[in-house]
Amino acid sequence: MDALRVLIIDDEKVIRDGVERSLAGKNYQIAKAESGEVGIEMIEQNGYDVVLLDLMMPGIDGFGVLDWIKEHRPQIEVIVITGFATVSKAVTAMKQGAFDFVGKPFTPDYIRIVVKRAVEKISLETEARSLREERILSMEAIQNEQSLLKTVFGCMVEAVLITDPESVVVHHNPAAIKMLDIQTDPVIGKPLSVSINDMAAVQMVREAIADNRVVTREFAPGTVSRRYLRAHCAPVISSTSDGDKVLGSVTTFEDVSTHKEIDKMKSEFVAMVAHELKSPLASIEQMIYALQINCKYEEANNCNRLHGRMTVRTKDLLRLIENLLNLSKLESGTVVFNLERTNGHEIIKDILEVAGPQAEAKEISVHFNPCAEDWWFNVDYDHMRTAIMNVVSNAVKYTPEGGDIRITTSVSGGFVNLVFQDSGIGIPKDDLPHIFDRFYRVKGKATRHITGSGLGLSLVKEVVEAHQGYIDVRSDPENGTTFMLSFPIVEMAGSVA
Amino acid sequence: MADKKLILLVDDDPDFVEAVRVIVENGGYEVEVAYDGQEGLEAVAERKPDLIVLDVMMPVMNGHEACAKLKGSEETADIPIILLTAVADRVTTSTYTHRDMLESEAEDYMPKPVEPGELLERIQSWVS
Repeated sequence: MDALRVLIIDDEKVIRDGVERSLAGKNYQIAKAESGEVGIEMIEQNGYDVVLLDLMMPGIDGFGVLDWIKEHRPQIEVIVITGFATVSKAVTAMKQGAFDFVGKPFTPDYIRIVVKRAVEKISLETEARSLREERILSMEAIQNEQSLLKTVFGCMVEAVLITDPESVVVHHNPAAIKMLDIQTDPVIGKPLSVSINDMAAVQMVREAIADNRVVTREFAPGTVSRRYLRAHCAPVISSTSDGDKVLGSVTTFEDVSTHKEIDKMKSEFVAMVAHELKSPLASIEQMIYALQINCKYEEANNCNRLHGRMTVRTKDLLRLIENLLNLSKLESGTVVFNLERTNGHEIIKDILEVAGPQAEAKEISVHFNPCAEDWWFNVDYDHMRTAIMNVVSNAVKYTPEGGDIRITTSVSGGFVNLVFQDSGIGIPKDDLPHIFDRFYRVKGKATRHITGSGLGLSLVKEVVEAHQGYIDVRSDPENGTTFMLSFPIVEMAGSVA
Repeated sequence: MADKKLILLVDDDPDFVEAVRVIVENGGYEVEVAYDGQEGLEAVAERKPDLIVLDVMMPVMNGHEACAKLKGSEETADIPIILLTAVADRVTTSTYTHRDMLESEAEDYMPKPVEPGELLERIQSWVS
C-alpha cells in the first residue's frame, strides 16, 4: 500500500512538529500547514487521506476548514486537535463530520493510535466501496445478459421451450407459440404434456432429463406442428460438489419443411434425370444387341438402318445432357448474359434460314410476316437465337408434311409480340399446363416417332424470362399450336416505306 | 414354316421395339408389335399371341394395367407374359423389380436392355 498522506494544520509550530515526530518512522508521508488558508490550499492542490486539524486558529479556524473539507473532499478523514478545556468544541466538530479528536497535551502513542484508526477506517471504506462497485457491475452484467438472452430468444426463428426437471414449462419464446401448435394459454407453469399434444415430444424431454443427454428427433407434419420439425433437447446441468444435477431442459425446434421439400424435389429430379438418360441408352444397347445378330443373318441394308438410329439416339442423348446443363446454369443464375442491341427481324430471318431445310424436307411452307417497322431489343444473341430456334423447330417437328407455319411480329406499348403459329397436331388440353415442365413430353400415337428431350421449352421459358419477356401458348388438336413471345423493345424505326 | 410361334412386343420406344424384333425374329419366331398397353390389348384381340413381351412404363396404358387386364380375362389369361422393368429402377433399387414381380401376375420379368440369348431362352421355356 502506498504511504498514507497526512496533513497537519496547526498555527503552533510546536504542535506541528510534535505530531510529525509522533508519526515519524511509520509509513506516512507528512505535510504541514501553519494556517487554515494554507491548509485548504494544500488540500486543493494535493489532496490528503488524513488531516490533523487544530480547531483554534487565527483566520479560518478549524471549523471553517472542517466545513470546507466535508463539502469539497468528503473522503478525507479529519482528526481535530483541541485543548481539554474545549472538549465540547471537539464534540461539535465530530458532529460536523470529524473522525476523532486529540486533546492537548497529547502523548505520541495516542496520536499514533488515533491516526491508525483513521487509516483503518479509510482502508475499510475503500474495500467496501470497491465491493459495492463490483456488485453494481455484476448486477449490470446480469441485467445485460438477461436482456441479451431475452432478445436472442425473441429474435430466434427456432422455437425454444425450457422446462424444469419435472417437464413443467418455465419459459418459451414467441416462435414456440407460432411453430408448435400449443394447446394452452398461458403455457408457462404447466406440464409439457398439457401444452403439446404429442407423446413423442414429451417423451423426448423426459429422456433428455432422465438420461442426462442431448436427444435429437424429427417430427413429421401433423405431430407437434403442421410443419416438418427437427428438435434438439438438451438437459440443463448444474455441477455441484455432490455431482451433476439436472435443473431442467432446453428444447429447440427447427422448421425443416423447406429442406425436406427441396430434398424430395432433388431426389425426384435425380430419379427423373436417371430415367431420361437410361431409357435411350437401353434402346441404344438393345440396338447394339440386335446389330450383332442382324449383321450375321441379314443384308447390310438393315444394319445401316440400325446404325443410323443408334447415331440419332446417341446425338439426342448428348443434346439432352447439354440442355440439362444449360438449364441448370440458367436456373442457378451463373449464366452471364451478354446483352446487345439486336435487330429483331434479323435474328428471326437468321433462324429461318437454318430451319428452312428442315421445313422443306417435310414440305412445310413457312410464312414470315414482320410488322412494317424494324425494332431492336437488348438480348444475348446466342441464348435468344437458341430459344427462338427451339420454338421454330418444335413447330416443324409437330407439323405433319405439307402443313404451314406462320410467323408474325407486332409492336405495341413498348413490347414486341412474336407469334409462331403452326398447323400441327396440337397439344391435348391435359398436357398444356405441363409443357414447360422439365422432361415433360406429350406421349401418344402422334408423337411416338418424334424425338426430343422434353427440355426445349423449359429452356425457352428460362431464356425468355431472363430477358424480362413473357411466353404464352394456345393450342387445340384441330388448328395446331400458337406460341406467343413478347419482349420489351429498346428502339423502333420509323415506318418503312 | 407355318407353325412359327407368335410373339407380341409392346413398348413405346420404336427403336427398342425394332431392336427386340430383330432379335426375336432371328430366334425363329413371328413378331407382332404394339406401342402402348391399349394397342397391345387390341393386337391380342385381333390375333392371340403365344407370348407377350410387355414393357412396364408406357403412355396411355402402362404394362401393369395391360397385364392385369390380360390376366383378368379368361380368353387371354393363359398367354405367358414377360414384363420388362424400367431401367432406372433396376439400378436404383432392387425392391422395385421384386414389387413388379409380386404385384403383377406376369409369368416372368427381365430388366431392360434384354440380353438376346437370355431373352430367347426365356421365350423358349414359356412357349414350348
